[in-house]
Amino acid sequence: MKQKKHNKNNVLLEYFVIKKHLKLFLLLPLLFSSFSVSAIEINELIQHIDQLWRGETSRAAMSMTVKTQRYQRSMTMEAWSKGKEYSLVVIRAPIKDKDIATLKVKENIWNYLPKIDRVTKVPSSMMSGSWMGSHFTNDDLVKESTFEDDYNSSITFEGVRDGINIYEVTSVPRENAAVVWGKVIMQIEQKTLAPQRAFYYDEEGLLIRTLTFDQPQKINKLTVPMRLTLQPEDKPDESTVIVYKEIVLDVPIEENFFSLQNLQRRH
Amino acid sequence: MENINQTSALSRLPILIFVAWRNIWRNPVRSTLTISALASGLIMVILYASLLEGMTRQMVRFATEISTSHIQVHRQAFIDDQDLYATLPWSYINEIEKNFPDIKISPRLYAAALASSTETSTGVLIKAVDPKRETRVTKMLEHVRHGTLDLGIADTTDKGIVRYNLVIGAQLAKNINVAPGDELVLVTQAADGSIGNALYRVAAILKPLEPNFDRMGVLMSIEAYQQLMYLENGFHELAIKANDANQLIEIQTAITDKFNQLSRQQPLDKMGGQAVVRNWRQLSPAVADLLEMSKALVYIVGFIIIGLASLGMLNTMLMAVHERTHEFGILLAIGMKRRWLLLMVLLESLFLSLVSAVVGSVLGLIVNNYFEEHGIDFSKSMPDGYDWAGMVFEPIMKGYLEPIDLLYACLMMIVVTMLASLIPSWQTVRLKPAEVMR
Repeated sequence: MKQKKHNKNNVLLEYFVIKKHLKLFLLLPLLFSSFSVSAIEINELIQHIDQLWRGETSRAAMSMTVKTQRYQRSMTMEAWSKGKEYSLVVIRAPIKDKDIATLKVKENIWNYLPKIDRVTKVPSSMMSGSWMGSHFTNDDLVKESTFEDDYNSSITFEGVRDGINIYEVTSVPRENAAVVWGKVIMQIEQKTLAPQRAFYYDEEGLLIRTLTFDQPQKINKLTVPMRLTLQPEDKPDESTVIVYKEIVLDVPIEENFFSLQNLQRRH
Repeated sequence: MENINQTSALSRLPILIFVAWRNIWRNPVRSTLTISALASGLIMVILYASLLEGMTRQMVRFATEISTSHIQVHRQAFIDDQDLYATLPWSYINEIEKNFPDIKISPRLYAAALASSTETSTGVLIKAVDPKRETRVTKMLEHVRHGTLDLGIADTTDKGIVRYNLVIGAQLAKNINVAPGDELVLVTQAADGSIGNALYRVAAILKPLEPNFDRMGVLMSIEAYQQLMYLENGFHELAIKANDANQLIEIQTAITDKFNQLSRQQPLDKMGGQAVVRNWRQLSPAVADLLEMSKALVYIVGFIIIGLASLGMLNTMLMAVHERTHEFGILLAIGMKRRWLLLMVLLESLFLSLVSAVVGSVLGLIVNNYFEEHGIDFSKSMPDGYDWAGMVFEPIMKGYLEPIDLLYACLMMIVVTMLASLIPSWQTVRLKPAEVMR
């Protein structure tokens, strides 16, 4: 509901762009905090998923395809991350957007725009705006680092769904948490511990969007889904698809790699 | 018999008028006070009507001349949620210009963007116009507070980046702290989904046009807009200035027909919806409602003021009738008809209100003249003017008196006071000569 409200109320945001962050996609599914649940299993589950795409530090190459009623566009991007707090995404193609970079440090997001050689900051009022014209929002990116604080998670179902043995993890926002979703449900395959699908509901329990994970690949002996498809419920012919081409975990990256100076200097 | 009576009543009218006039001045102080009360009431009504009409005219002027123009055309989807893609094709412009040589048109484009710096970013609303066409339709581009209006290319930076000039709203300039000559970075999502970004030079700051534009408006040329937004196949809004504002409805109908015809010849895409032609009253219903309301308000307030003043009249006449009951009794006893007596008292009231109307109108016109020339100046306390119901008003409030309003005010006063004087007149009719003469 909030999501919808944002879209309607703030026309501005609709057009809004600004950010590119990969991590977002990595983490979205992962953000379930385990602390509220006594079972050790959920802790392990959450931590496992958290490590899947990111490790302690990571470098990834990926492509994103956004399909809307008006246009379809594909981008290839390169991304680095360190912990949950730092990440950097650089667009490699197409030419028009080449070298546009998004830096996320904690709650702040900056963009580097090579065409005009300027760094700009994304204001907090623009957080619910679209990220790079995709169906992800800036907020998805920022909220990943606070998901554990914002939501209570628990395993609400263990058994067979669609012929696969799964764990179903349900996350509901804590009291007073400033969040967009009323409930997030994620299905994780029991055998491989790979996420299958995540459902995002608004405060009234209405399904807003579905994130689907597939094309699993073995990386460091873990099964990692390489394709993420985000499908908004109210626009069945639109979608955003992210495909990881390469993920390298635990590469050495210094913290000052994620700095404004570096953002501008790199280009 | 009837005939004789009527002629005799008519023939007695001059004498009745003479007596009534003399009766008024039997107590000059009381009559003068009554006349002053009624005249002041009338003056107030005149000034009130004049100031309200002045505001209304300013409002209409702002609504039509400064930014809205008389008629606007949009796609339905643009009206509903400012759909960036709901454009009208450029080819329509030529068609309209060819078919309606008398009207002036100006295409406009809109988009949301961020005005950015390293420290902060602010949401802005881009409005793009064709300066040549726009000046023929509205005075928007003359509304400059600081700087010089120029929407062309400003310069090229040493890295070869072309900077266009743009113009921004006064409140926005204050909020993001820029002055003419400063640089502005705009970032947005272009029509093809890419990140539109460009450098600009702030050429001028506009006086308030409307609260929204003032707070977040950025004005640029259509050329600059297309380079930022990659939206080249059409425009969002067509502003139309009619050559004769009194024929708005006819022109609107003709243009609607033309657009319907054009959309049959060159079909529009489905998602954007139909072309919708609206006049300024439909575009700013709040203003149109205010105009209607202000008329009603003049009558209501005028009625109250005059009603109060006529209580003074009522009191005067009651007193006059009361102290003359003896005299009336004698008149009746010697054969004066009751209806003549009634007529005489009514004539006295009529003279009082007529004199008041003349005095009030003359004085009211004199004061109103001052208001029309000088107005009430709030510019010291509100240099930007004030906004009300989404309209910006100049800080100088000027009056404008429609002659018809003056006539209505006088008529209303005379009618109300005459109604009030029915009560004392009726008392004279019920007098019993035998009782009152005792």
